[in-house]
This record gives sequence, C-alpha cells and structure tokens, in this order.
Amino acid sequence: MIDAISAGLFALLTPQALLFLSLGVVYGLVIGILPGLGGVVAMALLLPFTYGFETAATLALLLGAHIATIWGDSVTSILFSVPGSAKGLALCFDGYPMTKQGKAKRALAASATGALLGGIIGAIFLALCIPLIRPVILALGPSEYLMMALWGLTVIATFSEGSLMKGMTASVLGVLVAFIGLDVVTATPRFTFGSEFLMDGISFPVAMIGLFAVSEMMKMSIRGTPIIDRSLVREDSTVWQGICDAFRHWWLVVRSSLLGLWIGVLPGVGASVAGLAAYAQAVQTSKTPERFGKGAVEGVIAPDATMGANEGGGLMPTLAFGIPGGESMAILLVAFIGLGIVPGPEMLTKNLDVVFSMVWIIVLANIAVTIIGLAITPWLARLPSLQANLMVPMVLSVCFVGAYATRGRIEDVVVAAVFGVVGYLMDKYRYSRANFVIGMVLAVMIERNLHISINLYGADFLMDRPIALAMLIFIVVTAALPFWRERRRKRAALQAGGAA
Amino acid sequence: MSRHAQENLVSALLIGLFALVLYLCQDYGPRARLIPLPLACFGIFLVVVQIIQHNFGREDERPAELIHVDTSAITASAEGKPRTERTEEQLGQWGEAGAYLIVALLVAMIFTVGIFPTVFIFTAAYLILTQYCTAVRGLTYSAVLTLSVYLLFVVALEMQPYHGLLAGWMS
Repeated sequence: MIDAISAGLFALLTPQALLFLSLGVVYGLVIGILPGLGGVVAMALLLPFTYGFETAATLALLLGAHIATIWGDSVTSILFSVPGSAKGLALCFDGYPMTKQGKAKRALAASATGALLGGIIGAIFLALCIPLIRPVILALGPSEYLMMALWGLTVIATFSEGSLMKGMTASVLGVLVAFIGLDVVTATPRFTFGSEFLMDGISFPVAMIGLFAVSEMMKMSIRGTPIIDRSLVREDSTVWQGICDAFRHWWLVVRSSLLGLWIGVLPGVGASVAGLAAYAQAVQTSKTPERFGKGAVEGVIAPDATMGANEGGGLMPTLAFGIPGGESMAILLVAFIGLGIVPGPEMLTKNLDVVFSMVWIIVLANIAVTIIGLAITPWLARLPSLQANLMVPMVLSVCFVGAYATRGRIEDVVVAAVFGVVGYLMDKYRYSRANFVIGMVLAVMIERNLHISINLYGADFLMDRPIALAMLIFIVVTAALPFWRERRRKRAALQAGGAA
Repeated sequence: MSRHAQENLVSALLIGLFALVLYLCQDYGPRARLIPLPLACFGIFLVVVQIIQHNFGREDERPAELIHVDTSAITASAEGKPRTERTEEQLGQWGEAGAYLIVALLVAMIFTVGIFPTVFIFTAAYLILTQYCTAVRGLTYSAVLTLSVYLLFVVALEMQPYHGLLAGWMS
C-alpha cells in the first residue's frame, strides 16, 4: 500500500500533470462562481480535451476543476446568497448573514480553510478505509438512503424562526414543485398541464437563481442600497480570523468531514444532501443552536468541510463498483473509458496507484484552491458593497444568461423570473426560501427510495432493516434535541427570574 | 390593503394551490400520488392552522414591515455628500411595481431581441436612466459586460445563444 501511495504521488509530479491541475483549478473557480453552473458542467466541458494525455494529468484536470467549483459555489452563496448549484445552498444560511454583518473576509476564509481541512481529512480516511468500505456499502440499501434524506429535512425547524407553520408550508411547496414532471417510478406526467417543457421538471439551479438571486436583486432595486452599506457596516473581519475559526472548531471539521466522506461513499446521494446534513449536525450538536441562521461561522465551516470530504468518498463506489457516487462521478466514469481504466474491485487491488493518484489530486487541488481563495478573498469581499444601480443590471443579466445556459432552453428564463417573483413574495411574507429549496432537493430522493423500499421489503420495511430503524431513531433524537435544550434553557431562565 | 389582510390573502391562495394539487392527484395512479396527495392535505392543514394562529391566536411572528428599510441609511451621509437613496415613502408599492416591471421587461426583451442584445441594452439603459454614470460610461460598462458574458458562455462554454423572435421574423 505504501508503494501505491508513493507511486500515485510521483505520477502527479510531472510538468504536464501539475500544469493540468493548475489549469483545472483556475477554470473550476471561474465556472463555480457563475450562477447555475457547477462541477458537472465544468467536467463535461473538459471531457473532449482529455484524450491523448497522461492518465494522471487528465485526472488532475478533471478532478482539479471539479474540486475548485465547490469553493466557487461557496463564494456566491456567501457574498450574494446565490448558490451556484444545489450543494452551495447550505452556505447561504450563515455565510450571507456574515457578509451583511461585515464579516465577508472571515466567512470566505473559514469556508476555504474548512474545505481544505475537509478534503485532506476525507482523503486520509479514504486511504485508510479502502479495504473496509466495500462490505459497508453492500450492507446499505434504499431504506438507509431514505433515512439520510429525512435527516436533511430536519434542518427545516432551524429556518422556521418566527412561524414553524410557515416554514413547514414552504417545505411542502418545495417538495410539490420537485414533483413537477415525469414521475421516475411510474412514468406518470405530474402537474405538467400538457407542457412538453415541464415533463423534464423544474431545474434546481434555475429555481435557485430565481429564488435567491433574482429576488435579492428585486429587493435591492427597491431599496436602492448595496448589500452592505460601508458607511453603516464596516468590513471589520480578517482572513486570518476565518483561518483560525476553522482550526478552533477542529472537532466540528472532523465530524463534518467524516459525514461528507460517508455520504460520498453512498451511491447516488450527492453533495447537496451532504451540505444540508452537515448543517443539520452542526446545529443539532451546537450548545448555542439559536445563533445559526444569523451568521454563525460554524454554519459555514461544517458544509464546506463536508463537501470537501465528499468528493473523496464519491470516488469509492465509482472505482470499486463502477457505480457513480454522484453526477460528476458519472462524468469521471466516461473519462475512465477514454483512458482505458475499467472500474471494479480490481481497481482496489491491481490499480491501487491510480486510486491513490486521485486521492493525491484531491489533496493538492484543495491546497491550490485554498491558496488562491485566501489570496483573492480581500478583493471578493468588496463586491457586496458595490452600488445597487451597478449590481442590479449586471447580476440580473448574468443570472438570466446562466438560467438559459443550464439546459439551453429559453423557457428556463421564464422559470427563473417566476421563481424570482415567488422568492420575493416568500421573503416579504416570511415563508422560508431555504426550506422551500431543501424540500425541492430532497423530495425526489425521498420518493424514489420510499418506493424501492416498499417494493423490496413491504410497507413495514423498517422492521426488516435494523440499520434504517436505528437511523430513524437517531434522526428523531437529534431533531428533538434543540427543542429540548431550548425548553430547558427557558425553564432555567424562568426559574432564575422567579428566584430574583 | 393592510398587512393582516395580505397575510390572509396569501393563505387563501395557498389553500387554493393545495386544493388544485388534490384535484390533479385524482387523475394519477395510487403510486404516483402516494406522496403528493397526503402532502397536499398536510399543506392545507398547515395553512389552516396558520390562519387560525394569525387571526385568533397568539401571533408568534416578529412584526414585519412590508420591506425592511434601514432608515439610518437614508439620513446618513457618506464623505459629506448627500445620499441618493430613495426615501421610505418612495419605497412602497411603486418601488415594488418597478421591480416586477424590471423582471418582466428583461424577460420580454430576451424573448424579442435575444440574450446578448438584451444584456447590452438593459444594462446600458439601467445605468443611464438611474443616473449611475454618464451615457458614454454606461455604454462602455455594458459593452464590457456583454463581451465578457459572451466570451464566457458562448466561446468558452460553447452555449448556443438564443437570437429572439425578432431574428426569426426578419429571416
């Protein structure tokens, strides 16, 4: 194994591989920052350029670009509350409030450092767990995946401050919107009203561009003030504070990284669930959960650490079984075919050096992204203070182009505009937009795995799946914990008041 | 219309929406409606509870303004220059109607003249009409933005641009 680790590293230390890694990282950062485009688009566009080069160099280009898009997504989520793709959603919850409080540099630096630590921890544990993970993956089925999705739903209560009813209503609406289109289980067109366009469903990135970016620009055009008015809110944080935050919350980083690795290992779960689950565990394990959603740095560190580690985990089922851990891993599989690599159990025995090359690429790409990210953070942090009259036309234009570019369908421009108005109204009447998107992201996964579980094990499938049952109990306990703590805190405050 | 009435109107619209989902679900098979049907019922239940809480029970929400306006921003001045932000009175319904109009106009322009001409015209018009900068500067900024967006999306990402209905009619 030591030989494979060193062979994997040496394969990357060629000028071609290092150049491709650098190109991939810079390209990935640009794509990640553009609204609507994420790692999948970045890798798909690179595919034609991957033939005829060294294996390690090609993998460095693809994986480097993919890893860089993760932090690119985080940047727009933190600065403008505009997630570039579904996985950046969790960063909006606390990253954007930090920006509004004049802590953009700290949030961006904490995000970059969290992703770096997550990537490294994920890669180390991946290397250690390679012999152990195969039987674990085989032991899990759709019932357990269903529980993972339900865990993601438990963050709803966090964003329902003010009215739990409105928060839950927003989630229900989000779930129903996700059902628009052809039902994946029964092939029934649902809520399409005969429209061919709606048969494909509502695109998540387009919906998020509308809900967050277009609605924020509408608000900004009404107010006429920038996101941050520097005469009122000074940028008083530093990059160093953010780096220290990530190290100070080291236990949260470790927990989130392992969670990301675990979710990555599960085929088909994806990084969007990972970000939400990481946020949920950060809230549920915090001693001060009431700070979340208002600019808690832990709410930035946890999702980024998880998403950093998630990529390493996603490699596992892709390499070991040829089952992609997510959409981007499916594109990586296509690249494997071009390179003559055959995924399967032999990858973990005979081609272990290629596996470790990929582990090293994840580590090196994360280091490169963090160095570049920390270097450009002071400039990025100035963007939210740009004048509203400059921001509104520019961001709106780029958002609509991004919405069109997502699928190349002009109808998506209308969808982005409709969701922009819906997002504006939801914000005005305090129906949580975050809950809406959480419902949308998790709905399909919940429905698909519920149907498969019922088909395989019957309606009482939980009785046949002890791991799923244990996970359900864990979800109920962790979801109830913040309420129980809050109740205890109120009772203690009441007693203290009575005693005084 | 008062905020209270607006909240009730939104709740009524939501009930209507969930009722429509219930109605549409009748056409689907038992498996296709396994989740949407009970979820729509649950949605109606949530909105009814919300209406009861809002009208008869304890109001658990923070008092909310129609649009959050930082009034200190209006009175403050930066570097001794008078601020140009609109006053709170100006921000009401007219501001909202303006925001809807901007989005509608942008979509209509994209459909009519295509994506990239819209980016140029809309940005230039917005910058000049809001008096953010002079006409020459506005046109320059718009040209730079349009060129950057074109290079990124069409040249680098190989996106096929939409040319608009006008181009179709003309050809």
